[in-house]
Amino acid sequence: MKQPDISPNVSVAKDTSLQAVVEFSRPLLLTPGQDLAGYIGSRVGRALIFLITCVSVLAVLLIFYFIIREAVPFVTLESVKTSLARISEFLTSKNWFPEHEEHPEFGALTIIVGSIYVTVVALILAVPFGVLSAIFLSDIAPFTVREIVKPVIELLAAIPSVAYGFFAIVVVAPWLQNKFGFTTGANALNAAMILALMAVPTIISVAEDSLSAIGREIREASYGLGATRTETMLKVVIPAAHSGIIASIILGMMRAIGETMVVWMAAGMAAQVPSPWWDLSQSVRPITATIAQEMGETPQGTPHYYSLFALGVLLLIFTFGLNMVSEHFMSRVKHKGGSA
Amino acid sequence: MSTYMTIRRAWDKVFTILSGGSVVILGILLVIVLVPMLGKGCSAVFFRETIEFRKMEFAELGRGDEQKLKEEVAQVTEARKPIYDLINNFSEGIDTERQRNRAREMYRLYGEQLRLKNTPSEQYSEYRGRAKDLRNLLQDAYEAIDAETAKSFLQKVLEKRNDPIFQDTAISEYFHMAERYMRTVETIDLSKRDQYAIALNEVQEALKKLLGPRPSEDLPPLAENRYGATRWDLMQRDLDHLMYATVWVEEEPGQPLVKKKIPRTDPSQFGGTELKPLFGTVKNNLDAIFRPQRRFYWQYFIDGSTPGHFFGGVGPEVLGTLLLSICAMLFAVPLGIISAAYLVECGGNNFVMKVIRTCINTLAGVPSIVFGLFGLAFFVLVVFGKPCILAASLTLGLLVLPVVIRASEEAIRAVPRTYKEASLALGAGRFRTFVMVILPAAMPGILTGIILSVSRAAGETAPILFTGAVFFGNVPKSLMGQTPALSYGIHGIATGDRVGMQMPHQQFGMVMTLVLLVLCLNMAAIILRARISKKLRGY
Repeated sequence: MKQPDISPNVSVAKDTSLQAVVEFSRPLLLTPGQDLAGYIGSRVGRALIFLITCVSVLAVLLIFYFIIREAVPFVTLESVKTSLARISEFLTSKNWFPEHEEHPEFGALTIIVGSIYVTVVALILAVPFGVLSAIFLSDIAPFTVREIVKPVIELLAAIPSVAYGFFAIVVVAPWLQNKFGFTTGANALNAAMILALMAVPTIISVAEDSLSAIGREIREASYGLGATRTETMLKVVIPAAHSGIIASIILGMMRAIGETMVVWMAAGMAAQVPSPWWDLSQSVRPITATIAQEMGETPQGTPHYYSLFALGVLLLIFTFGLNMVSEHFMSRVKHKGGSA
Repeated sequence: MSTYMTIRRAWDKVFTILSGGSVVILGILLVIVLVPMLGKGCSAVFFRETIEFRKMEFAELGRGDEQKLKEEVAQVTEARKPIYDLINNFSEGIDTERQRNRAREMYRLYGEQLRLKNTPSEQYSEYRGRAKDLRNLLQDAYEAIDAETAKSFLQKVLEKRNDPIFQDTAISEYFHMAERYMRTVETIDLSKRDQYAIALNEVQEALKKLLGPRPSEDLPPLAENRYGATRWDLMQRDLDHLMYATVWVEEEPGQPLVKKKIPRTDPSQFGGTELKPLFGTVKNNLDAIFRPQRRFYWQYFIDGSTPGHFFGGVGPEVLGTLLLSICAMLFAVPLGIISAAYLVECGGNNFVMKVIRTCINTLAGVPSIVFGLFGLAFFVLVVFGKPCILAASLTLGLLVLPVVIRASEEAIRAVPRTYKEASLALGAGRFRTFVMVILPAAMPGILTGIILSVSRAAGETAPILFTGAVFFGNVPKSLMGQTPALSYGIHGIATGDRVGMQMPHQQFGMVMTLVLLVLCLNMAAIILRARISKKLRGY
């Protein structure tokens, strides 16, 4: 190849311009001091960012510490025997009269049962809806439908709990009372229905993620064997995605059991175990609602005040346990997604 | 074999319909929840206002044209005058206690008049004696329970009408009273006077609700009693109380009593009495009495309100909610983004990271009421010493922190690797790469997460219950005060005893404001996300 002929003037000009480009504003080699400063800077910055990240850890620790600290005086009485008696009363007695002047009683059984009762009923209503909708979204709906439905379900999750509570007490309660002749519209059924509506979006989004995480291949293999869509879903995809679906149900349960405003406004606040147990038209009194209602009127430092924190500890332990279980199942979902 | 296939296909169809149906039902439920809240909530903003509303607005909120209002009030007062005249007339025949007092008062006045005129003492006692006779006659007439007796007493009083000694004195009032009472006696059954008195009381109460206190009365101390029906819909309801009496009747012996509405013009109520025209007058002159107008009350969102949210808007609540959410975000957003950056950029798969992730998940799972308890035990009692905005917003900040972290992490992870690699290859450090390249690219996603967190923080009630929210009040000047908030206000107004029943539009209006706020934020987030995913699909 022959170099093109160019006049010397131009080549000189090009050379000078090239030199100008290649010239660096700073030396390429760092001095040892600069190097060290940079190293220390990056280390310190990293440590700082790590500390900031640890605020979440700190927050969890503080929450546990302060809730338990305020609950401890409730169970530490003069002697071990009375303390144990207090704990067993708290967990097994049905008499919740914390404001009685001579013999206050702190039997939280009805309250604990009330929380579980409402949550279980809510889940019975919510799980079929949630799982079916998740299946619809992941496998049945065409893309455009999914694009419309997903925001709708997000809106369902976005409505504030106090607005749901308002809806329950102003719209649902009179309707229940007039339509079914219940003595009160503020009852377990009302609260459970609204809680179900609030838990459904959580269930749908987590269950749909886990259903989508099951790869195409496994579905195609099933279709290839001649299975219908329903058979594919029920016998292949759902069993494969079961851990994600269980996690979704647990997360929905956490949402329902931790919900305050709806149950406070709609559950009727009667400290009783419904009898007969299937009678949903009776009022109950969940843990969250009890705390919300009574904390505002309780002087600080009284046994009643401490007992409400003890209820808070129960709630915290309960949700923490559920969270651990759901994390266990979620991690299995992730592993599966990684291996596939 | 073919029947087996048919069954399988049918089951397949049923399953598809079921799952599609569950989504449809959820959509319908969303509509059922939203429509009453937004629909009825709109009536707080769009409604027909009456003159009472304009009076209230001018007096309580300082808005309106004083001159025009005065003219209108004068016209309305004119239109209302016949109503009050009818009531006054009728009550003279019914409220005998007051009439007897009046007779006594006139008698005393007469004595004073005589003394002023320096009447000689014998004449004085004679005149007084005759006046006393007259007074006793009149009082007997008022006490009589059958019409004939009353009439005969009244006749005796009226016979003295032309007695010169009573001309132009206080006693001449007796003849007016007697005349008026004569007319009453002719139209009503005196034995049922007590029932009339009770019914009249009801009517007067209903009128007070409808028209407000009379122009001659003092202004009541509570703002809620100062004005009549401020809105056309409330007016219809109160009018119903005026036009119909509610009675409990025993339809069948031994059965529970049945509630019945009887028109006040019925003979068992005021039929045939002098009061009967009142109901027709009110009903036919509603426009003149109330001067209704269509109103778009957009100031609802910025106005303060009278105690108990009787009149006015939700301005302080909206401000308080925004203040709480913004302070919470100021705390949560920097922390959240930095945490997410650490988790993505520096995080490995070691024990520390696992602990951090578990803690974030735990934080996300802590019930909101426990956050409230924590806020009370830590921020209120230990840090600040009293409930305040700062305590409430820090509690809210902790609540939304995991949401911000997760959203930011997802957004940062979604930035293509090539961006980072290109930046590193150009010689930028890791810090510079993150701040100048990755963060801007992830910003829309992070923003989506932030908007959703704001909407979450705005809607939460339980964490602010004990940490800094009040049901009623104004937004404080400093962050160390307590503030009203929409969410807490809704709870108060929905479970409070009176206001909700009397002013449903205020209840629904407040809920509508919160739901609209949250929905707008969510819509913004959804649109933002749709644009991001469109952009990502473009690659």
